[in-house]
Amino acid sequence: MDATRWRGLVALVRDAVEHGSRAVEKVQLETAGRPFGILEQIPAVAEPTRVVHVIYDATVSGVHGVVRAVTRAVGTTVDVALRVAEHTSNDHDREA
Amino acid sequence: MGKKLELALGILNGTIGDYLAETRNGLATPMALVVGGAPVALERTALERAYPRAGSRVVVLAHGLMCTESVWDIPGGGDYGAYLERDFGLTPLYLRFNSGLAIPDNGAELARLLESLLGVWPVAIDEILLLGFSMGGLVVRAACHQACVAGMRWLSLVRRAIYVGTPHLGAPYERVGRVLSKLASAVPDPFARLAAQIGDLRSDGIKDLGDADLRHEDRARRRIGSLRDPEHPVPLLPGIQHYIIAGALSTDPRLAMVFGDALVPMPSGTNGLRTEPGTIALPPRHVKVFAGTAHMTLAHDPHVYEQIREWCDGWSPASPEPGRDLEEEEDG
Repeated sequence: MDATRWRGLVALVRDAVEHGSRAVEKVQLETAGRPFGILEQIPAVAEPTRVVHVIYDATVSGVHGVVRAVTRAVGTTVDVALRVAEHTSNDHDREA
Repeated sequence: MGKKLELALGILNGTIGDYLAETRNGLATPMALVVGGAPVALERTALERAYPRAGSRVVVLAHGLMCTESVWDIPGGGDYGAYLERDFGLTPLYLRFNSGLAIPDNGAELARLLESLLGVWPVAIDEILLLGFSMGGLVVRAACHQACVAGMRWLSLVRRAIYVGTPHLGAPYERVGRVLSKLASAVPDPFARLAAQIGDLRSDGIKDLGDADLRHEDRARRRIGSLRDPEHPVPLLPGIQHYIIAGALSTDPRLAMVFGDALVPMPSGTNGLRTEPGTIALPPRHVKVFAGTAHMTLAHDPHVYEQIREWCDGWSPASPEPGRDLEEEEDG
């Protein structure tokens, strides 16, 4: 497989994690939002529920954010490595 | 490894090829003629090198959805292109393309490719035979339509087109998928909507198969909820003799009519001939149904080639004017 395709594969994995993570994050927030929403209507537990809800949402978004950030970083690193490898290979070809 | 990798990329392109092209991803397959698994540049020297026996009569083989040119490989060796070269001296041109792109886009690309080919082919081309499998048949039809509209020169060299397992009236599985996706997206549940989003990731090429859309204007008026075969708005070009090969899993006529070759029902595979014979301007002998043959098998079956050879037997390099003997047959 040539470098263009390797780069394409890296970009595709990056896109898949990015879009997949956002979609799953949305589902998790919406799914959890329902019981939180019901509990927040009950005056006796409303206030602590809101606090837990905020913590939960922040945790979910944070975890997915980290997953996306790490994926982007790994993708960029692999991309750079591929460019270096390609450059080195071209230099060897020219020398030969 | 090479063939398997190309096939894997073919499947990937068929699934999300429109996204790959849109994001300029290196995995997107550009349309090209391929020889020995490698794309050939559309330049005279490259073509001379790749086709040392280039003739004036060529056959263009267009594969189907999620395939590559390897779909034509007959177990035990050979393929329809190689056999046509052996039996009739036609130079086989195997096309590889991103089957996830919209059918009109692939049609336009093929039309441009063939127009360019006229100027760089090692010898003057005086006949082009088009052979399309499944979606490839629709791409061929879209290319002919666009060449007709644009007045391209290559179209006048096409006298015959053979469609193998082509869903001329669309593919019901895609239309069912379209409806399910629409229903899932309407359900007020995040998981159902996620399922709908995943379903909607399927490529434009797959979506076009639903109604066999050959033009962008057809795609624009696609009916979301339709489950019936739509009337095909682009008729078969009258200047070309058309030949149709369809498959049927069952030998029972009623089951064969409904299930066809497992992917393409009989009315769609025969462009309606099996349901409305009076309305189709195609001689019955131009249509052949292979009972007990599944969809993918149609692309590499020695019996199917025998039928192609039989049709080709009546042809000669100095063939009649386009459409002439079709009219004679209709009169008869």
